[in-house]
Amino acid sequence: MVSRAAAAIRTRPRREREAEVLVWPDLVFIEFISALIFSIALMVLSAMVNAPLLNRADPDTTPNPSKAPWYFLNLQELLLHMEPAWAGVIVPTIALVLLAAIPYWDRDQDGQGVWFGTKFAGRLTVFGFTAATMVTSLLIIWDGSLHVIWTENIIRGLGLNSDFSWPGGLDWFRNLRGFDTGIPWESLGFTIGGFTMFEDWRAIPLGIPGTTTDPWLLNLNFPSFLSQQLIPVATMVGLPIVFVLFCKALGWIHTRRDIALLIFSAFIGVYLTTTIVGTAFRGQGQDLKPPWDIVVLEE
Amino acid sequence: MSNLERAPRKSFNDLIYDLIFKNYVWQSIFRTGYPNTPRNQMLAVATNVFLHLHPTRIHRTHVKITHTYCLGGLSFFMFLGLTVTGVLLMFYYVPSVERAYQDIQALESNVRFGQLLRNMHRWMAHAMIILVLLHMMRVFYTGAYKPPREFNWVVGVVLFILTLLLSFTGYLLPWDQLAFWAITVGTTMVGSAPVLGDESKFLLLGGFSVGPNALIRFYTLHVIGLPLVISIFMAVHFWRVRRDGGLARPL
Ligand code: HEM
Repeated sequence: MVSRAAAAIRTRPRREREAEVLVWPDLVFIEFISALIFSIALMVLSAMVNAPLLNRADPDTTPNPSKAPWYFLNLQELLLHMEPAWAGVIVPTIALVLLAAIPYWDRDQDGQGVWFGTKFAGRLTVFGFTAATMVTSLLIIWDGSLHVIWTENIIRGLGLNSDFSWPGGLDWFRNLRGFDTGIPWESLGFTIGGFTMFEDWRAIPLGIPGTTTDPWLLNLNFPSFLSQQLIPVATMVGLPIVFVLFCKALGWIHTRRDIALLIFSAFIGVYLTTTIVGTAFRGQGQDLKPPWDIVVLEE
Repeated sequence: MSNLERAPRKSFNDLIYDLIFKNYVWQSIFRTGYPNTPRNQMLAVATNVFLHLHPTRIHRTHVKITHTYCLGGLSFFMFLGLTVTGVLLMFYYVPSVERAYQDIQALESNVRFGQLLRNMHRWMAHAMIILVLLHMMRVFYTGAYKPPREFNWVVGVVLFILTLLLSFTGYLLPWDQLAFWAITVGTTMVGSAPVLGDESKFLLLGGFSVGPNALIRFYTLHVIGLPLVISIFMAVHFWRVRRDGGLARPL
């Protein structure tokens, strides 16, 4: 059997000579000009802005905040919202594998070689990007407890209740960790037939054999697992599915290419938002701050 | 020579032109004059060691700037520029904890155009990452990853990772607070991997924390290891663009 890739090559139409132009001068000229423009622009930039050089490295003086290079700040941002193993390693690995796998999954030829080749490509791109940017921003605001601060300030500011503070009953909704610290897990044990279930949610014995070296698998801290792993992962898996179902319902999705367009655009939105937030909106202790309030302390 | 008889009729521009392009030395390098017939133009591309990365003809739609925005080519151009400025930086920089920071300071203050050189290298590195990302987006949105180009897309993803690694390894070299702590944060993330996390971190740093061993490892990877690997992948990438029948276009 001939592979699909090989078949695709063989079914290409013969080259139509009339539709072709010569690389010299047509392409070489464009390449030359674009290289020239970039050289000049970078020269000018380099003449005006110096590359940063701070004090000599000192392992005993930690800057606060300490940040990775900007292109990894998307991952450092994820780190604030989930278990480090997910944020720093598993999520990026899966993302790269999925990225590389796109062409093996979306194989039909339509929409190839032209910008936004399918009927609803434009809408899917704009929707995917915008919706993902907004949802990501909202999630970051929520996990940064900004909604708590804003609500308190608004209610106090309006004079409705001058010493209003976020109700204890809603502690679980302060931020992601609220699901851990804001719920009275201690009182949630129950008894079935005289047998106490989940007496201690913070140490559910899993007793998976052979795992004695890994306390995590021996005794599951459920509240922490819920807030640091289950909810973040469910969000990252669930939101794309919701996006796809939503656009399907709108009748925008007909091919795998459409799904790829939607998810890729959403990915770009998340990538950009987390990079920007991580770069410009994280101050001391990685607290959310507007860029102009960020100072780096050395401690 | 017949030049002498016609000399009075020649304009000044022609004279200069002949002086530059029709002398013995020039013609020993470039055997023919400016290629102004289609045949010679194709030969110019096919026989020049740099230009022969290209085919001699290409489809009309692909020379429109709005098809590629030259992003792949510019990524490559950044790589070339980084190689040139990088080699120059190596003249002044010694990758030891004692000297690294001093060398950068000296480069900035004592070396003519040293600061400019360092700035160029730094800003081109950032530009390359942005250009590679934009190139990936243009390939995606033009649906240019579809068969038969699946594998070249994968090669592209590897190029993207290598670009990030090149930049990351270079980040440590100035040995200032920014460098030291950025690499500390970055490698701590590596260390949090569920399997082989600590081992990979140790391998990368040559120790448990950023120190002299990390500096020499990052330096070696940055100036020779990764550039070699990325060059190989780029060669495959460009070769595959040609083998896959040039740039993608509608069937
Ligand atoms: C160091 C990084 C890279 C360099 C120097 C590079 C260079 C190039 C060049 C010069 C082209 C010719 C067309 C153009 O300029 O757009 C090209 C095409 C291509 N690149 Fe890249 N590239 C890089 C990274 C990537 C990445 C990250 C991807 C995708 C994940 C990718 C996927 C492709 C594909 C599929 C083509 C064929 C496009 C078509 O047929 O229209 N490349 N690349």
